[in-house]
Amino acid sequence: MQKLLFFVDRVSTFAGKFFAWSIVGLTFLISWEVFSRYVLNEPHAWVLDAQIMLYGALFMMAGAYTLAHGGHVRGDVLYGFFEPRTQATIDLVLYLLFFMPGIFALAYAGWGFANESLAIRENTFSPEPLPLYPFKFIIPLAAFFLLLQGMVEILRCIICLKQGSWPSRIPDVEEVDVEQLKEMVHVKDEDIASLDKYVLKQEAKS
Amino acid sequence: MKKELRFGFVLMALILSAVVIFMPWGHLTNGHLGLLMLSLVVVTIMLGFPTAFTLMGMGIVFAWLAYRSVNPEIAVQQTLDLMVQRTYGVMTNDVLIAIPLFVFMGYLVERANLIEKLFKTLHLSLARVPGALAVATLVTCAIFATATGIVGAVVTLMGLLAMPAMLRAGYDVKLTAGCITAGGCLGILIPPSVLLIVYGATAGVSVVKLYAGAFFPGLMLAGLYIGYVIIVAKLKPHLAPPLPLAEREIPLPDFLKTISQSISMKALPGLLGALNPKRKFAIPIGIVSRQLFIALLPALLWFGGMGLVYKSITKVTVVDDISGLVEMGFDSQSSAVALDSAEGGLQEPTVAGGIQEPPGAGGLQEPPAAAGVQEPPATEVTTETHKESDAVTAEAAPQKKDAPNSYWITLVVGSVILALYYGYLFTIARLQLFKMLLGSFFPLAVMILAVLGSIVFGLATPSEAAAIGAMGGFVLAAAYMQLNSRVVKESVFLTAKTSAMVCWLFVGSGIFSAAFALLGGQALIEHWVLSLNMTPVQFMLLSQSIIFILGWPLEWTEIIVIFMPIFIPLLSHFNIDPLFFGLMVALNLQTAFLSPPVAMAAFYLKGVAPPHVTLNQIFAGMLPFMGIQVLAMALLYAWPAIGMWLPQLLYK
Repeated sequence: MQKLLFFVDRVSTFAGKFFAWSIVGLTFLISWEVFSRYVLNEPHAWVLDAQIMLYGALFMMAGAYTLAHGGHVRGDVLYGFFEPRTQATIDLVLYLLFFMPGIFALAYAGWGFANESLAIRENTFSPEPLPLYPFKFIIPLAAFFLLLQGMVEILRCIICLKQGSWPSRIPDVEEVDVEQLKEMVHVKDEDIASLDKYVLKQEAKS
Repeated sequence: MKKELRFGFVLMALILSAVVIFMPWGHLTNGHLGLLMLSLVVVTIMLGFPTAFTLMGMGIVFAWLAYRSVNPEIAVQQTLDLMVQRTYGVMTNDVLIAIPLFVFMGYLVERANLIEKLFKTLHLSLARVPGALAVATLVTCAIFATATGIVGAVVTLMGLLAMPAMLRAGYDVKLTAGCITAGGCLGILIPPSVLLIVYGATAGVSVVKLYAGAFFPGLMLAGLYIGYVIIVAKLKPHLAPPLPLAEREIPLPDFLKTISQSISMKALPGLLGALNPKRKFAIPIGIVSRQLFIALLPALLWFGGMGLVYKSITKVTVVDDISGLVEMGFDSQSSAVALDSAEGGLQEPTVAGGIQEPPGAGGLQEPPAAAGVQEPPATEVTTETHKESDAVTAEAAPQKKDAPNSYWITLVVGSVILALYYGYLFTIARLQLFKMLLGSFFPLAVMILAVLGSIVFGLATPSEAAAIGAMGGFVLAAAYMQLNSRVVKESVFLTAKTSAMVCWLFVGSGIFSAAFALLGGQALIEHWVLSLNMTPVQFMLLSQSIIFILGWPLEWTEIIVIFMPIFIPLLSHFNIDPLFFGLMVALNLQTAFLSPPVAMAAFYLKGVAPPHVTLNQIFAGMLPFMGIQVLAMALLYAWPAIGMWLPQLLYK
């Protein structure tokens, strides 16, 4: 069971990370275009469309990746204080009630939307057109990965309900990785602990 | 039951009971359904399910209900169409592109790891100010938070760096905690901030104007923090004792020490003396002359800068060019579409600027020349412009303008000050400090100002400036020897996750707010608000306090994407500029980061604080800074010019 969960996590993560690299492409593309426009005086009409596509693909495809690592923003006023079983119940109900129908609708509608575009071989509206339909297929593709990941999350809720604690996830980079930051500025745990005497001194005084 | 849970449940119960009591249950209209949806979504978000999908699911159900009430047969298809259109709208949103780029820049800058140097340098250069360490902490936070925009990382890093230093120096725990948490949150407001992009995209306000507008309020807030700390240090020195002399000393490399001891304490005579071959020093000339160059940098910059100014004010055409550029850039902001059709669309404004500005610029332009520009047929605008502008240059060149007296006065006064500084104050120690600043403070400051400046003065769109900023992040990380595959990979993946978080929220809220509008909830709220007969001041107070209260249970992203679409249409009834409202909201949401019990900043700090520092102490330390934020809001409301002066000056 755990193997299956990890496998889907890895698939979502791979898809997300693959498209994540478009940020580097985006950075270099725009920088080059700025240089080309202002220094070489040679603007390119297709660059704006390409920018949009890179950006759209980046965040859409990262949706499942982010879900696989619990990165979507939650209202944290209560959730963090609940027991794991309570958390799992809420999540399970809302995954079935909101997430699955919503993402399924997005996948279905997106499939039709993209196929219409494919049927007419739609291009961007620009003097230097780019094909638009591959970009539109990002919608059903991203929704498909989200559906897959959503099913895994539902399984996780069920496991958590059974065993009373959340099953593990594969590790990933974190925005605030305290250990890494400590290493970066050369601070050790002992250093922090040794500061306690100053705090205690103040408390004694007051 | 835990106190936090009780707090949350009470809030939820209040919302639900308000709905139950005020709903006219007998005759529900669609508008009431909309309000029901709004209150349900707040309650569901508080339960803790990922917000983007809560909004999406809720939006679909209610959009379907709205369509069904009109025509049940095609309701499903309409709902699906709405959904995919909204999603595609977010995917092609040319304002939101800047978000991943700024986020990427932030991660790269964070990992360039110059915060340690920055803090040390600032703390040495501010050593004489009362409360030096606290002030240095705030300044470091402000700069670093502005460049990275990642609250958690800034607070954690400063907790690791500044907290030990401050505690060791005998600073009060609460004051220490307050400085770090409040300072770390400054990046939310000071541009280039993601919050302002999210607001701009939601409210349809130009991000450029928001950046220009938020600049001074952000500086004001940072200034108020610093002022508060200095006053506390003056009035109650036991809370923020001055640094001992040993801590103030600037560490000098050996050769500089030799110079300052044997030749002169002053930088210039000392270095020149060291160059003198008669004194047999073991210091290579290369090193000394490099020091000399660094020492002379301020003078070089001053004269170089004044030289450029002289050139630009004596040459009329240069002024024309600049006005044309600004005009062109600004036009490209207002309609980003114009960008890709750059061939024709962009040059026309240049022509317009070129024609209109010269008479205003001092009446030096011959009227016939101006008239001549208007002659060429529209089809050949591009080529004709070049010819004409050449002609203009030729016309203007003979009438070379003399620089005004004020220029010469500035030059002389500046040079005298510079000479005095070099003669009396510029010691070897200061030279070393200047070198340290060059290595930490200036790169960041220059990068932020370059990114901001190019946006605000219309040279680049926010997304272009963000891309250049991300390139700057690469360069910075490379310059500090931190650019390796791990850093790049981590930054790329974190960027993807953060962008997905923000942009999927837009996908969800797009569907949600469409459903809300379809149900007519907006009209109902508008009707109700107008029936209250409020003055603009009352409305501002009401809306800001609602946002303030929402800041407790919700995150700023949620507040903006869900509630701004409700508030913004009301603004026109009260003659409030959405730009100004945005600045107030941005200031207001700062408090959300500092208000217990969900203040993120406090938890990040607690994670790296010594074990005996309690959360309550941290919260207590944040309170005065929250008070300052409220004061800053009052100041901005009383004198809107603090925020509005710059955008009004630049984009009339």
